[in-house]
Amino acid sequence: MRANDLPIVGELLESGAEDRVFDSLLLVGPLLILFIALVGRSILTTGLALSYVVFFTAYVLYRGVRG
Amino acid sequence: MNEAIETIGRDLGRILKALAGLMFVSLLIPIVWAEYYAIPALIVSGLVPLAIGYFFTTKFQEATKPGKLHGMIIAAVGWFCVAIFGSLPFYFIAWTVEFSPTLLGTPSQTTTLAAFTDPLNALFESMSGFTGTGLTMTDNEEVLPRTLQWWRSFIEWVGGVGVIVLTTAILARPGSGSLTLYESEARSERIHPSIVSTVQTIWWIFILFTFVSILLLWTVGMPIWGAINHGMTGLATGGFSITDNSIATYDSAAIDFALLPVMLLGSIAFPIHYLILQGDLRNLYADLQTRWVFIYMSLGTLALTALVYVGDTYDSLFTAFRYGSFQFVSAATCAGFQTAVDSTNVALGRWPAQAQLTVTFGMIVGGAAGSTVGGIKLIRALTLLKGIGFRISDVFYPETAVRRLKINGRRLNEREMRQEFEEAAIIAFLWFVFLGIGTFVLLLLLPEGAYTLENVIFEVASAQGNVGLSAGITGPESLPTLGKIMFLFNMWIGRLEIIPVLVTIRAVFRRGGIYR
Repeated sequence: MRANDLPIVGELLESGAEDRVFDSLLLVGPLLILFIALVGRSILTTGLALSYVVFFTAYVLYRGVRG
Repeated sequence: MNEAIETIGRDLGRILKALAGLMFVSLLIPIVWAEYYAIPALIVSGLVPLAIGYFFTTKFQEATKPGKLHGMIIAAVGWFCVAIFGSLPFYFIAWTVEFSPTLLGTPSQTTTLAAFTDPLNALFESMSGFTGTGLTMTDNEEVLPRTLQWWRSFIEWVGGVGVIVLTTAILARPGSGSLTLYESEARSERIHPSIVSTVQTIWWIFILFTFVSILLLWTVGMPIWGAINHGMTGLATGGFSITDNSIATYDSAAIDFALLPVMLLGSIAFPIHYLILQGDLRNLYADLQTRWVFIYMSLGTLALTALVYVGDTYDSLFTAFRYGSFQFVSAATCAGFQTAVDSTNVALGRWPAQAQLTVTFGMIVGGAAGSTVGGIKLIRALTLLKGIGFRISDVFYPETAVRRLKINGRRLNEREMRQEFEEAAIIAFLWFVFLGIGTFVLLLLLPEGAYTLENVIFEVASAQGNVGLSAGITGPESLPTLGKIMFLFNMWIGRLEIIPVLVTIRAVFRRGGIYR
């Protein structure tokens, strides 16, 4: 079963910028927030959250420069 | 039965069913936070709109598809009904705690929560949330049950998506700004051709940006519950907070500066976000509104920083910049988060009159059409400025000259120009008329000498611009009942850009005539 087959998630993935990286960020986001809520603030969670934000920004710029 | 009423009734029913769905989804919060006493109140709050919605959708299931006129009335009435039924969780939870049945294990009542036992206060909070205003009837949000903290953030977040959908897909018409967005030479079509896929794409972008905002705020030091709530209300430019002194509670420059891009994201048109995510970064400067979002925010920040620094409100340039930039961006994006409060620095209501009026100016103009902001919107302000310039320079051309006005890459002919200019002028005019009426009424209602004129203009502009900054007038005790009712109207017309509300009022008073 693919992510696109899931209810709600599938419909969401069919929308948007039609880009697998953004779709992945969309799916990973709530899991990461849940993980942070459970584990709390640590070097690992801070690093993961920071990576998420930096990666998102860098990828938007990368797509812009490449395009 | 009138055909139009059936169509409107059917769609209102659908809206109420969706609202019930939001309440049932929110049941997760009292379960997670062990606020079990809130569960019955939330279930009853959801069952009421569900039953009414089910009745309307079943009774009018054969109704015809809505037209543009129906769309306006559905939007106006729907927003009001959603605010009414959305107030039920506030009301029922407050009364649950008030009655304090032993079986439910309720906490002790607080004055903050007790304010919602008055249905008008509950309705005010709900309308403020769904319109993305952020003015509140609470005096200390921190003591609210987590369920209500969430409900306030959630309704602002959903209301934020609602207004983007409304302006980009449902109410887009010549002069509304949204058509100007879509019909420029560079962008010949909407995000997607159909309303359904447009709405799905708006949700996609909005949810992705919400996760980014939450994680950014948490990274700079905000606790996770605060980051979730402020990420949602910041992106929706609503401004509800879960802390007593809004963002000032954290007293952190890093959090202040991290919220700037979150609020700015919410103030840029979502069709432009879509293009940027697709790799077309040119829109950051090529799109008229987006370019002006940055120019306008920068100029406003500089002006406000200078005013509070020169006026000795703050003694260091960095502090003046920190509070000046935050408060101008918060006002102009219509978010309404506050960092200027007396407990950590100097409250907005005590800033120099020029500084307060600069913030008021930001609230009146707002950000880009097609985003979550309120106010007149940049595209209309720019259309008015360009249109006035065009008309004045017209005198210098021969009568036979064929001239075209260029807005956002579109070359408008005489008819199109008149349409855009007329709509912008009408909305701007009505905006100032209702601002004037509101100011006049509030001056009559408030105790003489309690507030300055700039305080009163500031508060009305904040309500009508769906901003939520307060000079200290709004509160369960400080704002008289008539003032609350007037602010309900200001928030409602501000969110719907006035015209749909006036159309609805006309339809109600001249029933039959408009549908003939």
